[in-house]
Amino acid sequence: MEVVSVTLIPRSVMATMSDAPVPDQRLVGRMAEGEDIALGELYDRYGRTLYALAMAIVREPADAEEVVVDAFGQAWRQASAFDPRRGSVGAWLATIARSRALDMVRARGRRARAYERAAQLSDDGIATPIAGLGPDPGRGAERSEARRLVAQALATLPEPQRVAIELAYFEGLSQSEIAERLAEPLGTIKTRMRTGMEKLRGLLSPLLEGTA
Amino acid sequence: MTTAHEWQDFAAPYALGALAPEERSAFEAHLAGCEACRAEVRAFTEVAGLLAYGAPAVEPPAGLRDRVLAEARRVRPIAAPRRPATGAWLAAAAALVLAIGAAITAWRMAGRVRILERQVAADDSSKAATDSALAMLTGAQVNVVTLAGTGRPPSARVFWNRARGRFVVFAFDLPQAPAGRGYQLWAIAKGQAPMSMGTFNTDAAGRATVVLPVGRDIAALGFVDNCALTEEPAGGSPQPTETPRLLGAWLHTD
Repeated sequence: MEVVSVTLIPRSVMATMSDAPVPDQRLVGRMAEGEDIALGELYDRYGRTLYALAMAIVREPADAEEVVVDAFGQAWRQASAFDPRRGSVGAWLATIARSRALDMVRARGRRARAYERAAQLSDDGIATPIAGLGPDPGRGAERSEARRLVAQALATLPEPQRVAIELAYFEGLSQSEIAERLAEPLGTIKTRMRTGMEKLRGLLSPLLEGTA
Repeated sequence: MTTAHEWQDFAAPYALGALAPEERSAFEAHLAGCEACRAEVRAFTEVAGLLAYGAPAVEPPAGLRDRVLAEARRVRPIAAPRRPATGAWLAAAAALVLAIGAAITAWRMAGRVRILERQVAADDSSKAATDSALAMLTGAQVNVVTLAGTGRPPSARVFWNRARGRFVVFAFDLPQAPAGRGYQLWAIAKGQAPMSMGTFNTDAAGRATVVLPVGRDIAALGFVDNCALTEEPAGGSPQPTETPRLLGAWLHTD
């Protein structure tokens, strides 16, 4: 590429940039002002996680890539509507990406997918073993720590509770669809999901500071 | 009748998006008037958000970051309702168009447009140089335009067109230097003394659009780390005489 560029800003502004990591919320504020550098920074913080989330839902690298581009595009366009009182930036991004991914799966056709899934299902009804993640070569000790804690927390849950939560989160199934899929009473699924989520809330409290 | 306690049981499945449609609508109606349940939903939404970290780790493709940014450069964020941003932005865009137009006329250098077009192409590889000047600005130059807002700290953006050996400088909200003085740009390579990139001054509105030839010493170096701006006597100094007013790190895209 033949053109490179530099943006010059006052030292005082630069000092606040380099001293401490800019909080996620500030980045979103800067995105609302049209600063694509802030979007790049947010990608560096969450891109890997959102891509992994998208892959877990859509399974195809090209589709997952599409989901991530769409999700960050939506976050960019709607940055000014982000309301910190309703939750963290991470949860906001995950919600957007998950819903784009589930939309894509639905668009592809639930039926075709059901067959595809049926071939992969293990005895307990869940397609992907989520716990026991491989080593993480990624940058960002904080994110790795989050991954480790979440994997550990999910592994701690009784299997039926974990399955109920994962089917809802990664497959977008409702409680009655899960009951049907697992041939269990609806009330049982409701209890498992609620109890499991309450346990996760306790186990993940180190990551939930200031939001719970 | 659903009691308050029972409503709270809806928060976790709601955060997972697992309620039946009719349950969801009923719960949302309840949420509107119940702060306790809203707090529960907030907490469980955070828990659900963390489940994203439970997805098996996979390395995203190398070009994904660029795609995300290229997509963002095609559209600008929706303005917050409290700011009359569209009008201000259009005014800024119009001002920039005028500045570019004036620059072209003044220097009678049709090549300038090509420099800008290359910048657009570089910034926005997918939707390079679209039809009109305004469309160009909405695409790749959003950053420049946004930086031009009033009441902001001074800033400048410098493009180095290597093929043509030119620096193209846009300065914003940088108060005009007094008579007999001007601004000087410095290229700084790590471990070396700053090299002058040239001098300019801003107009009464604090703006400047300038093209500076790339000096032989800088061109020979081929790679600089930082860029700084100082106020100096008109005509420039051999070395900076004050601490930089503006600083930036070159973004190497190649």
